[in-house]
Amino acid sequence: MTTSGSTGASIRVRVGHYLEPYVEFARKAFAREATYRVEVFTNVGSLILRVYLLRSLWTALYSQNAAPLNIPLHAMITYATVALLMSLILEIDGTRAIRERIREGSIATDLMKPIVLPFYFFSDGFGQTVFHAMMIVPSLALALLLVHVDVPSFPVCVAFALSFTIGYLVNFLLNFLMNTVAFWTLETFAVQLMIRWASDLLGGQLIPLDFFPGFFGQLVEGLPFAAIYSTPLRIYIGELPPSAWLGAMSVQVMWLALFGAFATAIWRLAERRVVVQGG
Amino acid sequence: MPIIETRDLRKVFRSVKRAPGPIGALRTLFSREYVERAAVEGVTMSLEAGELVGYIGPNGAGKSTTIKMLTGILVPTSGMIEVAGLVPYADRRRNARNIGVVFGQRSQLYWDLPLIESFELLRAIYSVAPDRYRQNLAEFTELLEMSDFLTTPVRQLSLGQRMRGDFAAAMLHDPRIVYLDEPTIGLDVLAKEAIRTFIARVNEQRGTTFILTTHDLADVERLCRRIVLIDKGTLIYDGEIERIKEQYGTHRTLVVEFSEHYPEIAVEGAELESRTGDLVRLRFDRKTISADQLIRRVTESYCVSDVSIEEPELESIIRRIYVEGYADPGVKAPAPALT
Repeated sequence: MTTSGSTGASIRVRVGHYLEPYVEFARKAFAREATYRVEVFTNVGSLILRVYLLRSLWTALYSQNAAPLNIPLHAMITYATVALLMSLILEIDGTRAIRERIREGSIATDLMKPIVLPFYFFSDGFGQTVFHAMMIVPSLALALLLVHVDVPSFPVCVAFALSFTIGYLVNFLLNFLMNTVAFWTLETFAVQLMIRWASDLLGGQLIPLDFFPGFFGQLVEGLPFAAIYSTPLRIYIGELPPSAWLGAMSVQVMWLALFGAFATAIWRLAERRVVVQGG
Repeated sequence: MPIIETRDLRKVFRSVKRAPGPIGALRTLFSREYVERAAVEGVTMSLEAGELVGYIGPNGAGKSTTIKMLTGILVPTSGMIEVAGLVPYADRRRNARNIGVVFGQRSQLYWDLPLIESFELLRAIYSVAPDRYRQNLAEFTELLEMSDFLTTPVRQLSLGQRMRGDFAAAMLHDPRIVYLDEPTIGLDVLAKEAIRTFIARVNEQRGTTFILTTHDLADVERLCRRIVLIDKGTLIYDGEIERIKEQYGTHRTLVVEFSEHYPEIAVEGAELESRTGDLVRLRFDRKTISADQLIRRVTESYCVSDVSIEEPELESIIRRIYVEGYADPGVKAPAPALT
């Protein structure tokens, strides 16, 4: 028992040793975000405004056409508000730094450090995310004064959190892939904007995917974007019953694995391009 | 055993050949013709631990390409390379723990955070032991006089302060080898001197090996005993500074201030270089006439109030080598690897 205990401890030490830089990256990113105080307040302000506008919009739409697709108004407002709060986290793109560093040429000095760069970008983005996630709490409190948001049962919340975590990782990999393209073409902004819009619309951030008609609806359900917003949201508003959770999350995990493999391959190619052609 | 060794190191870059004009641009989309350009062509050198070597060459000579290969972020086309027992490109992350880098034109500090936070981050990246970190931080803070601005955000630092911060940042993990690329560019005289003193001190006390790439040959003259000259990707000289100085810098300038006004001045064995009023610069070759002799000749014919001798600067010598090429039957360039 003692031996296994000590090996366990030494493995823990080694893992801790290995993770330390990345924890530190996240902490620094958190601290860096916190230095822009004005931005924080404007963000909270704009969020509350957006929540209010969404409520007004959906209330007006529902007064014309009561409960399309059997989604009642309160569920729709909940959907829209939660989607907005999710976007606060998902719109943070830590991998944007890849593009900037390639343009500045500082990617070369990054490669001279004993770190795994994709993990660096992930931790940096994660640190920013944690900071902004904390901002959600006061924003949410204020938003609740304006609109009513349904809070589901505890198991649903857990399933939502799990599904959202997978969605977060899929979103990270999507951003990572888009920014890594900058190793080949320095200008990727237009393409990124298009993909960002596509993912907001086709991923279910703006409207539930059920609103898409017939074949088109089936198509968007099959796209990877649905794994980012739509799946966790459908779990939250109770559109997906507990029996469908496993299947829905399996699809998410499939996209995660696929994007992960793709990102690894692209990064290898990018790294090789730098070390062979000098960037 | 040398700490850095390269043999016949070559790096050839390949780029797509672009035909001129819109039709040419269209054609390059479909047919690919490549142009090859050798940035480094057969560099063989070897450095012992604790050396402080100036790596000098004009723009585009292949200096940074060599440094990139030594740091492991560029794979050589051919040849052998070993840094502290590792092949840098094959073992990039392990090699990174042995090296430090300072770029005069590019900071590795966190722009938005106080200087000290960048140091803490580097401590985590290199997993420096807490005691060792505190010790190094204390020492560098004192040597580089950083205590006044440790908590200032990097973006508010002056260039001189930022450079000092970058030096400390590059050395917190006790690297065995440090590559310096134009470390004093844009600094004022005082800041330059502070940086040079720091390099010399770390080299002496810690035995850190330095490779210094710079255009400021005053840095090299002040710090290095050995220089490696590179031009068009090839080594043209590898050896002591003193030796090329002796070989190429045989001329001296005698600066004479006359106490009386002479309309015309002529001294055998020296030529008039310039004259401003009664201050005259006489150029002579110390192989044909000694300074002692020349001074005697001057004082025999003229009344003199002051004399001094100027040696040629490394810069003018190196400029000459680039133009004329290095040729010395006594010395082989590149120097054979130490065995």
